[in-house]
Amino acid sequence: MDRLHHGLDLRLVDGLDLSEDLRRTHRPGETVRGEDGRDHDLPRFFYEVPSWEAAIATPLAPHVSLYELLSIDVREAAAARAWPRYVPCAAVLLASALEVLRQSVGERVLIAANGGYRSPAHAVDPRDGTFSPHHWGTAADLYRVGDTWLEDEASIARYRDVVLDVLPGAFVRPYGPGDGETDDHLHLDFGYAVSVPHGA
Amino acid sequence: MLDAQVRQIAEDAGASAVAVAVRDLETGEAATVDGDRPFHAASTMKVAVLAALLAAVADERHHLDDRLHVRNRFRSAADGSPFRVAQDRDANAAVFAKRGRTMPLGTLAEHMIQTSSNLATNLLVDLLGVEAIREATARWGGAGVEVVRGVEDEAAYEAGIVNTATAYGLVGLFVGLEEGAGLPDEVRQFGLDVLFGQEFASGIPAGVPGEVREGSRFAHKTGSISTVQHDAGLVYLPDRRPYAVAILTEWEADATNGRRETVASLSRAVYDHVTHG
Repeated sequence: MDRLHHGLDLRLVDGLDLSEDLRRTHRPGETVRGEDGRDHDLPRFFYEVPSWEAAIATPLAPHVSLYELLSIDVREAAAARAWPRYVPCAAVLLASALEVLRQSVGERVLIAANGGYRSPAHAVDPRDGTFSPHHWGTAADLYRVGDTWLEDEASIARYRDVVLDVLPGAFVRPYGPGDGETDDHLHLDFGYAVSVPHGA
Repeated sequence: MLDAQVRQIAEDAGASAVAVAVRDLETGEAATVDGDRPFHAASTMKVAVLAALLAAVADERHHLDDRLHVRNRFRSAADGSPFRVAQDRDANAAVFAKRGRTMPLGTLAEHMIQTSSNLATNLLVDLLGVEAIREATARWGGAGVEVVRGVEDEAAYEAGIVNTATAYGLVGLFVGLEEGAGLPDEVRQFGLDVLFGQEFASGIPAGVPGEVREGSRFAHKTGSISTVQHDAGLVYLPDRRPYAVAILTEWEADATNGRRETVASLSRAVYDHVTHG
């Protein structure tokens, strides 16, 4: 597909057209079980990111750049660590929400490594047969807001309240050490939303 | 001769237990004093973690420039409960400063060995897994070094799940590294370079006479907790092949004075044994 006239200098791709290795990694359009116990379709359409430099140079909002959603580590599948990389189109919507949050707190909102988009093959995820919204590109793990590290109950609770106030409809995990809870970052997501941009 | 010297130094210092092992790669000679006695490994276990990382790189399961998420959250080997490495108990601030971001595996290995970063250690243990560490230890000839968990896992400590090491086992690990351990040259050299960069020099290096120390190199790893003070590594004196040495000492928790000096004295005894027979 050609580049679109939507201000984003990235190629829009149908995941079904990716190489076999990449399809096995990103599983475009496949129906999987979400953490909510229900079936959801994984994203089918992606933006192609040619390089880390391009990710840095691509703003998705005035204070949110694409690279912030693409920091992953060695636990990510090899195909999803090589360039070009592919990010679900819904990441653009997440970035808009993060911009609202950033404007509200008046400070940088930092997303952890592995805390933006993760492919469904990322090894950090539990192999219990369920899939997290991170695989839809609709989730962010915030580890720091300005100079505040989100690693205790007070700081996580404080910014959880902020998120719920300025981003109605967002889901935020409660503080705690158990499954579905967080105690060293703030997880927010917009569920299993897929984006099919014009021209897809 | 070495045996008597070691026991005298230990008695004079008031140590609860001491073990020494040495193997001279120049002559092939070896000596040991209680070399099979297990001690709490403290940070000497980090040599086994390094062994596992080098093995993973050699097998192309990982690369030294692969990046790892720096996250201070681990699960206890005892009950799976979450725990963190206390920042005020870690000599290394650089790794803590990267929380939330990523660091290359090779850089984490340097921090783990050279400044004994516990956070870097647990990150690597988490990635590699205890089983891979045990396999690499065996592959290097480190039988006697038993790694069962990361560091600062208090719940595991309370449950008696403890990393242990013998002097003989640590010497085996270092001999394995010096002799290649099946590693490609560049991977082996990286491992040695990391160990050469050790910043704590009060143990084995301090026992080598000053005029000789200037022209020598030391690839070693220290370890200490409230009850132990260890040092183990390779000593490269000028114009000869190295000797591998491990010095393990155990103390009453309140006996905090003179530990490092004792390790240095034991290192001097080993140096004399190797160089004068």
